[in-house]
This record gives sequence, C-alpha cells and structure tokens, in this order.
Amino acid sequence: MAALASTFKGNVACFQARQQNAAPRRGQLQVMAAGIKEVRDRIGSISNTKKITEAMKLVAAAKVRRAQEAVVNGRPFAENLVKVLYGVNQRLRVEDVDSPLVAQRPVKSVALVIVTGDRGLCGGYNNFVIKKAEQRYRELDAMGISVRLICVGRKGAAYFRRRPQYKIEATFEVGQSPTIKEAQAIADDIFADFVSEEVDKVEMIYTKFVSLISSSPVIQTLLPLSPSGEICDINGNCVDAAEDEVFKLTTREGQLVVEAEKVRTETGDFDAGLIFEQDPVQIVDALLPLYMNATLLRSLQEALASELAARMNAMNNASDNAGELKRNLTLIMNRKRQAKITTELTEIVAGASSV
Amino acid sequence: MTLQVCIMTPDRIFWNDQADEIILPTNTGQMGVLTNHAPLITALDIGVTLIRSNSNWIPVALMGGFALVKQNQVTILVNEAESAQTIGVDEAEKAFEEAKTRLEQSQGEKQRVEATFVFKRARARYQVVKQLAV
Repeated sequence: MAALASTFKGNVACFQARQQNAAPRRGQLQVMAAGIKEVRDRIGSISNTKKITEAMKLVAAAKVRRAQEAVVNGRPFAENLVKVLYGVNQRLRVEDVDSPLVAQRPVKSVALVIVTGDRGLCGGYNNFVIKKAEQRYRELDAMGISVRLICVGRKGAAYFRRRPQYKIEATFEVGQSPTIKEAQAIADDIFADFVSEEVDKVEMIYTKFVSLISSSPVIQTLLPLSPSGEICDINGNCVDAAEDEVFKLTTREGQLVVEAEKVRTETGDFDAGLIFEQDPVQIVDALLPLYMNATLLRSLQEALASELAARMNAMNNASDNAGELKRNLTLIMNRKRQAKITTELTEIVAGASSV
Repeated sequence: MTLQVCIMTPDRIFWNDQADEIILPTNTGQMGVLTNHAPLITALDIGVTLIRSNSNWIPVALMGGFALVKQNQVTILVNEAESAQTIGVDEAEKAFEEAKTRLEQSQGEKQRVEATFVFKRARARYQVVKQLAV
C-alpha cells in the first residue's frame, strides 16, 4: 500500500511539473491534465491492452508445452545414437578417424549460425542473441578471420541485412515448430560449406533454455566435430553427449514451473562378435552427419522454447504493469470525481445562501 | 521368430513393427537381413529400404543414417524417413527430373555437394512411389 501511495505521489508531482512545463514527454501519463472522461477512456484502453497481453502469455505457455513435447519425442533417437557412437568409438580408439566432418584445418573463415525468433514482443530475447553474435563477429574479425553469417529466424536476418558490413550467406525460416526438414536444410548448407573448404569452422549462437525465467545465449562449435561425437563450446569445454537435461513444464500451486531432470544414457561396449559391415571409419562417417543434424534440431527446439519462455515473461510483466497503471489511474479518476462533487456542492450551498 | 524393425528419426519413432525380412540400402550395396542374423552394424546411404511381412513388401525412403542388427532387433537411425503414402507421384517425378538437371549443371565443389544430396533424396522418393505403382 505504501509503495502504491508513493507512486501516486509521484504521479501528482509529475502532474504539477506538467503544468509548469507544458510540453508532454513520451512515456509520461498524459492524462494528468485531462478531465474525468479522458482518464476513464485511458483506463478502458489499458484494460484492453491487458487482455491482449494476458492472452499472449497463455498462448506462449501452451506453446512451451508443445515445444517440450518435441524435445521428449527426440529422446529415443538421441539415446540410441549416443550408445552406438560410444560403442564404435571404443573400437576405433586406436585408429585415426579421417572423416570430412572432423577435419581440423587452420581457421581462415568461419560461418556463424545465428538462431533468433521470427517475432518480437519477447523481451530481450532476440537482442541478446544479436549482441552476442556481433561481439563474436568483432572478435573473429580482429583475428583476421573472415566471417559469414547464416541467419535462422526473421529477426536476426532483418537486423543483419540492414547493416552492410555483415556478409550474409543464407537465411532460413523455422516458424513455430522446428522439424527435421528445416534442420536438414540448414545442415546441408553448412555441410556443403565445410566439406568444400569454403569455411573451416562453423559456430552456432543460440539461446540455451535454462529455466522459464532465465535463458542464456551460448556459442557452440558445430563443425569440425570431435571424433568422439562431443560438442565443445568455444572455450574447449566439452559437453558430454551422454548426459542430457530434459525440461518439464508443470504447474505447482497454480504457478507454472520448470523442472530440469538430468538424464544419463547408459553406454557400454558392443559385443565382441559384432560385424562391421563397412570399414569402421565409414560407419563413423555415416554417424557424424546424423549426430550433427540431431544436435542442430535440438538447438533449434531449445531456442524456440527459450523464445516462448521469454515471451511468457515479457507478457506477464506487461500484464502486471497494465494492472498497476489501471489502479493508479482509477485513484486519480476518483479524486477528480470527488473534487468535482465537492465543487458542485460548494456552488449549490453558496448559491442557496446568497438567495 | 520375427524381426522387430524400429526406424527412428530425430523427431519421432517413424516405424516400430514386426517383419520377416528387411533389405537395407547400405553404403556398399543392398543387404538383406533375415531372422537370427549375426549382430551387425552398417552405414546406410540415401535410398529405399524394403520391409517384408508375410509376402507384403513395403518400401520406405531413408535419408542416410545407419542400422544396428542385434538379437532379431533391427534399429535404424536416419535423418528422415518417408513412406509412399506421404509422397505425391507426379511431384516426386518432377522433383527427380529437376534434381537431375541441377546436378548436371552444377558448378564448383559446393554446388555439386549440395546438388548430389538433393538428387539422392529425390531419387529415393521417386523409387518409393514407383515401387508402389508396379
């Protein structure tokens, strides 16, 4: 209540300031100098906006649930892949793997895959990714490495297209549910880039889903893959493929919460009698693109989940703000109404006594 | 005793059913697997797999991956799988012809690599619908 009163006082102070300095500034409540009707209209308009933001929040929450189902559906594939990759690697430990996807070359050019959303109204989500990408671009540029961008999502593409210093190689749109088709299209592009030696390294910047209220943009090296199928971040810390986190959106006491669950895939050696139909190196060759595609899809799914979570938060805040604005305006309106009644009463009394 | 065939793609389990025989498009040519096959792992090219249950052959287009045969369980992990029901005949034929010309006209390493992928996929799709028609 005290906080509310202080904001109200603030509003009054602002109202007085307005009278001295008539030029209205953007972002201030412009109804202060207005009559009761204008205040009432403003309250109506804020209520409508609040309805919209609340609806958007609920839509985002429903979509988060769908996004997380997609991640769960991909689990059996990922588990089997990791199992086989591990088993093959056990066999291969002594041999030198020479697959095009693990080729470590001196880095002269880098492709940056930037994953943003298609839409705004999701707080700083898109901006954080873009800022991170720009920062990485400057770092690489300072090292004398040529950088080309591959933009996934409309927001990133629009931003970088307006700035001619960036070389955009391709743009992709993913829409509201990333499928394997889209991941495949992106994978084909970077695969062709890498194998034809047009780029020596492929990095991806996307938003990792941490929880509903926090997510962080991360940089991950997609190519070259390390032969054991580990994905490393730029600092060389390897993310163990066998360990994975699965997120679950649930409701607890009427609030949406996310539970993270660490899943560890059981890995073991193959039977000694297992026949390798082809050269083990060829099998690794077939496994690695599959692994890259699965990783890409997973990242796209995670980015989408982060976007939706960010939107949920932003809309939640917007609804809260609208509620507070409405409360303050109602107070002001009541004050004005009472002031008007008092004036009228005084006038009537004065008029009656003067007769 | 039958084979348990399971085809998985990164976003779902595409196929999980009993079968009597399966012919796989491996990197080194086609390979048939019957029941009680020795444990085996093989890389799969982009191509068509044929699954037989009784005397019924069902073609499925596989977009590259690998297969693991173990104790009458065939686990196939692929980038993508498509069955004849989801592919239009005319569309597949047109895409196949387009991909062919694109591959023939491709210049430079990068274009060629990309065109080869597109061509192989279009061919697998085309083969699947054609087999159904025969």
